[in-house]
Amino acid sequence: MTEPRLLQNFSGGRAIVVTDRASSLDVLTTTLDRLGVTTNPADIVGSIADIDLATLQPDRSIVFIDGDISDGAVLPLSAIGRLPPAPVIGLLGVSAPSRLKALMRAGATSFLRKPVHVAAVYPALFVGINEYRRHRHLEALLEDQERRRRGRRDVVKAIIRTMSECGIDDDEAYDLLRRRCMRTRQTMEDLCKDLARSSDGQEHGEFVLKKKLAD
Amino acid sequence: MTRQDLQVGYLFSSTGSYELVARSMLNGALLAAEEINASGLGIRFEPSVLNPGGDLSQYSALAERLLERNIRHVVGCYTSSSRKEVIPLFEKHDALLWYPSHYEGFESSTNVIYTGAAPNQHVLPLVEYLLAHHGHRAFCVGSNYIWAWENNRILRESVIARQGSVLAERYFALGETDFPQAIEAIIEARPSFVFLTLIGTSAYQFFRDFRTACRARGIDQAREIPVASCSLSEPELQAIGEDAVDGHLSSSVYFCSIESPANLRFLKAYESRFPEGPTASADAEASYNAVWLLARAAAAAGTDEPRAVKAELVRQHLDAPQGPVWIDEQTFHAYLTPRIGRSNRKARFDLVSEARAPVQPDPYLVHNSARFEAAAAPSLRLVS
Repeated sequence: MTEPRLLQNFSGGRAIVVTDRASSLDVLTTTLDRLGVTTNPADIVGSIADIDLATLQPDRSIVFIDGDISDGAVLPLSAIGRLPPAPVIGLLGVSAPSRLKALMRAGATSFLRKPVHVAAVYPALFVGINEYRRHRHLEALLEDQERRRRGRRDVVKAIIRTMSECGIDDDEAYDLLRRRCMRTRQTMEDLCKDLARSSDGQEHGEFVLKKKLAD
Repeated sequence: MTRQDLQVGYLFSSTGSYELVARSMLNGALLAAEEINASGLGIRFEPSVLNPGGDLSQYSALAERLLERNIRHVVGCYTSSSRKEVIPLFEKHDALLWYPSHYEGFESSTNVIYTGAAPNQHVLPLVEYLLAHHGHRAFCVGSNYIWAWENNRILRESVIARQGSVLAERYFALGETDFPQAIEAIIEARPSFVFLTLIGTSAYQFFRDFRTACRARGIDQAREIPVASCSLSEPELQAIGEDAVDGHLSSSVYFCSIESPANLRFLKAYESRFPEGPTASADAEASYNAVWLLARAAAAAGTDEPRAVKAELVRQHLDAPQGPVWIDEQTFHAYLTPRIGRSNRKARFDLVSEARAPVQPDPYLVHNSARFEAAAAPSLRLVS
């Protein structure tokens, strides 16, 4: 799985700002505008619960959450990586551990101190968005590893049966199965699962296995 | 008409490793102030000139001295490191720094007006020109600071996107003049061009040594391995010396060779006021433009209060030596006209390329760069 490329031009992005102090956002919205990131008035909301989740795009949306509001609402997080549906950047007024922890739990991958300074916005976007992309990549890797781990039982079964039916050792059995995967463009786990499922009786199963491996 | 006295600070290193360009910038700013005082605009400039001597630590001390005297406008700085050194002071005092030099972008301070070229007005046009006319194999040599690092990144990404390659990047301390090893490496690698981001005395020495080394090997350096720069200007051509002055490419928004009534007027006034030199340059013109824009905006605002001056500034259009110049109200960078010149034996540039109209500044390359960084070419090896 290829490492994600760094995102460095944020043009075309959409900012959603969660704050109860919309009047103090001038520097942030003006700087975002210079960077090609739009902030529509409708996207400045008072609570996370007001965000229309269906419109969030992981590659285009950026959610700014003011750490000084505490309304209990949270963005839905993914099961494995605990990632929100779009990158989150925390707006920090008070840098107390409770606020930092709340923003980290909300999935923030970078922070902007309030009052927002013009020169801090681009670095916050750069780190926040690229860290989020890196986390998503790692999450996808983890999901893949988890899927493979679950399929390991079928792989072991298939190797043992191939050894027994073809009279070969485990390395040769693995090579045989691996070549079959390459030919059929399947993962090892999917092939072995398929072989295991197709054997509904010992004799029939042997026939299916030998025939499939011989193809 | 009530006359408005406007105190302004000029902060230029008229001594030190890049004094030649800085002196031409100071000259441009002084000339503009004298013209404004004689113009009947209703503004009288009183410049306080300070010289940090190219010493980074002196910039903030001298800027502080100006700001503590309640001077609200300072024209100055040449290197990005000096600009970044003083910006916090301008923010603290809510004053304006008028930065009159080309730079690498990725900045837009509320307290800076940028009258020099942004990267889409000098680096990108040069990269396009080099790739179209000289090939795709680059060798980068630069001074070891942000100007070189960032320009080389922009070049690298453009070259890689076109399946070209950057053969090497070599960096040297500011003021370094010992280049034999780097020159040997360049001649060995035979790139399509050298992308030079050395500044000041380092650059002049490199041009001389590279030409001499190529000549000794029978290489027509200007034709076979041209050197291209985004900062080379006329006073520096004179400093290189006549043996190595010709055939270098420079990307800039201003060259002395521009044939327009406004430029002829500017050059005549400049040469008559500063017969001892240094010659006018792009940065001298940017300084001249900065002071004129400040005067016009302050006259329109009726005060030197920075916020009022900024509000009026975006309404000013200047018939500058390079052509029309005005300030973009979103970024406070200038609309400028990109050009590429090739140096000749008279220490001037012949224009080889010119934009049809002033180009909008794009300091963050929002409209002029790919969304993602360029992917490095996969490093494949032959396996059978």
